[in-house]
Amino acid sequence: MRIIQYALMLAICWFAAYVARAADVQAPSHAVAGNDVSLPTSGSGNATLFVFGPGTAIKKEVRLGDHVTLPLKRAGRYSAIVNGEQVQFDVAAAAPSDIAFLARPSRVPADRKDVIAGTVFLFDNNHNLVTSPTPVKFDLMVEGGQPQSRHVQSKDGVAYIKLDSGRKAGPAQFVATVGAKSVKRVVEETASDPCNLRIHATPNKDGLTVETDPVKDCAGNPVPDGTIVTITATSPKGRSTVDARIKKGIAKADLPPLQNATVSVAAGVVMGNEIHVGGGM
Amino acid sequence: MKRLGPYVLIALVIVACSWWIVVAQAASDLPKVDLNVNAAGPRPVEDTTEQALQRDYARAWSSMEIALSQNRADVLDADFVGVALDELKDRVNQQQQSGLHTRYVDHGHKLQAVFYSPEGSAVQLRDTVQLEVQYLDGDKVLHSEQRTENYTVVMTAGENRWKVRVLQAAAAQPE
Amino acid sequence: MGRILMIVTIVVTVLLLAAGTLGAHGSSANLSTPDGVVKALFEDVGSKNWKAAYQLLSNKNAIDLPTFIRQAGGSDGDLRMVSSITKVTPKILRESDTEAQVRTDLQWTTAVGAIYGTRDLKTVKDGKDWKVEWPVEQQAKVPPQVIPVNFLRWDIVTRGADDDWGAQNVDAPRVRIVSMNAVEYEGGTVILGEIVNEDTVPGFVSVNASLVGKDGKTIGEESSFDKISHILLPKEVSPFRVDFPGVKLSAVKNVRMQPNSLLVPASADPTIGVLNQRFETDANGRKVLRGEMINESGQTVNIPHVLATFYDNSGKVIWVSDGYVDHALLPRTPQSFTLGLRPDIADKVQTYRVTVNTYSINRQQG
Repeated sequence: MRIIQYALMLAICWFAAYVARAADVQAPSHAVAGNDVSLPTSGSGNATLFVFGPGTAIKKEVRLGDHVTLPLKRAGRYSAIVNGEQVQFDVAAAAPSDIAFLARPSRVPADRKDVIAGTVFLFDNNHNLVTSPTPVKFDLMVEGGQPQSRHVQSKDGVAYIKLDSGRKAGPAQFVATVGAKSVKRVVEETASDPCNLRIHATPNKDGLTVETDPVKDCAGNPVPDGTIVTITATSPKGRSTVDARIKKGIAKADLPPLQNATVSVAAGVVMGNEIHVGGGM
Repeated sequence: MKRLGPYVLIALVIVACSWWIVVAQAASDLPKVDLNVNAAGPRPVEDTTEQALQRDYARAWSSMEIALSQNRADVLDADFVGVALDELKDRVNQQQQSGLHTRYVDHGHKLQAVFYSPEGSAVQLRDTVQLEVQYLDGDKVLHSEQRTENYTVVMTAGENRWKVRVLQAAAAQPE
Repeated sequence: MGRILMIVTIVVTVLLLAAGTLGAHGSSANLSTPDGVVKALFEDVGSKNWKAAYQLLSNKNAIDLPTFIRQAGGSDGDLRMVSSITKVTPKILRESDTEAQVRTDLQWTTAVGAIYGTRDLKTVKDGKDWKVEWPVEQQAKVPPQVIPVNFLRWDIVTRGADDDWGAQNVDAPRVRIVSMNAVEYEGGTVILGEIVNEDTVPGFVSVNASLVGKDGKTIGEESSFDKISHILLPKEVSPFRVDFPGVKLSAVKNVRMQPNSLLVPASADPTIGVLNQRFETDANGRKVLRGEMINESGQTVNIPHVLATFYDNSGKVIWVSDGYVDHALLPRTPQSFTLGLRPDIADKVQTYRVTVNTYSINRQQG
């Protein structure tokens, strides 16, 4: 009889200890940012639940044994603490629905290789980085030019591409697409260095007018107005230079009367033809 | 009195040196960050960029640790931007409202650059950090532990420094 | 005792006042010599005592006071108007009983540094005193006309503060250093070269350079300051010069160049022609580069800044000279300039290129 009494007391004590130890919280089975996360708790009575994580610090009175529902928007690692016991759980990012698209540079010369760079970072609708591999499409189009398209798989939330600029100058539409979400950037493809720079001279009442042919790059794109074209006239008496600006595709300079002079033209580091004016050789 | 002169001088030198050491130590009280850029691409990381990333990431963690410990969101603006800044500010605000704190003892970071954008304005890194974390409710320690955390980090070039734009804890990555 | 002190004070005050009033031509005025009158003239000009200076002219019938003030003191917002004469050194070249030729070296202090000039003036005897025959500058009169401004202007719209992270901003223009040469000059090191704006938009450009010593440490860091054309239009080439006084070239192991560019609003106007550039020898026997600038726009350029790049026979930049012209460039009106050339490299110069920076008070950025 006494042995049974001792055994029963032991069992009651063990059960009490078991109940006391089991007053804790468990990690949720699967948590996705933006969806309510359910934390199972066990035990009985009231307790204070603390949850720490990205953008989160919660202190909440809970009833042990109930599931605690928390709206967790940020992906990352969380710690839930009840009565000094801690459990960690991860909240994963949701499906990608937002793109940060970096397209650089804002201007490129036409007809160059690998000059346009596009980088995409993938986020879900709560701005969490989506690190699971996701297909990304890049498109580059300029009016009248040849469109380019590439498919790239993202890695750790990033996808990037390098593309050539087209031969035709103009605003190029650079588009990154993930699922139904597209973001567009504009990259201005500009004329490259002048090509076949040529001048001709015409006498005027005060001296000489030197004018270029329409200034274009090697792909036939007009070099923009405002570009400097340096016209130099060298004669036995000295030298005259004018840093003319291209206006409506042509650069022009008025020079004083010249005898036995050589007139040359340059734009940047590109040289053009030379002409001889004023007689004498 | 004359014989005490040299001893006084030595004592002064010791005090001055001690003070200097304390000050220097305080000034260099940034977490240790070990950065490896060998795996970064498509653009190779320049030496100056590598040094700047290492320094600015350490500063960011130092700011974050102060912010979460003292519930001060103002210290975050210099080192964080975008999503990461919003998250930390929300965390500090919620801690403030509930009287909670988080204390970190930072035992060092192993940081690996995995992506450097072609035009050089964004870097993605993986950070493995050894931390001691304490969660406090007022002065009461709720829980304390040593742990290893893994983060996916995106830093972007700012006015004169690199700022953390994304700091997202990740499951441990296979080597 | 007090009364004596008071009397002495009054007497001294009166004497000083008299000296100040009577010394209208400065304390060193000596009108009885040709060099004295020239010195007095420029001292009056320097202190803007125009009436007193005008009284020293012998040819007042050829030039009125307003014209004299414009020619001697500057006009149209030019550099002369904001300069002051700090040194006048006259020297008599030839003298007779009735006239003399005086060469005067002048030093002006300006906001952009010292400007030196030499003027040869004729002086004539007028009674007991000498007077200066002022050389009247004949300025070409440009007929009234309408000059349309139809050159390109660039304005900039940048990204907003609330644009998303990936939104582009307009990039600074691409610039490139196309040549660089390190030379030793007067015990220091000078970095010379040229930079081009390869882009299709204008930029504000500067060049910084760092010298690295043999131990790998930086021994000097300087900028080009104003030895460069700061505003570069598309495809424009500018020389630059970075001076490191006191750093010997032999101590330099490496040079790090850092070109910087900023996108700025700009105008393609004005176009400045640089005509009749030639080497000459000046009155002091120095080789100089002379020429005329002509402002082809309709707006005045208040302060022109001339930069000359000198090349050797291999096309290497061997020197960059610069100088501010203290006369404004009026529309369509030629204005001469003179730039000194280092005597030690004069023989090595094979060719050169002159560019002009322009600063205009009233012009909108450009």
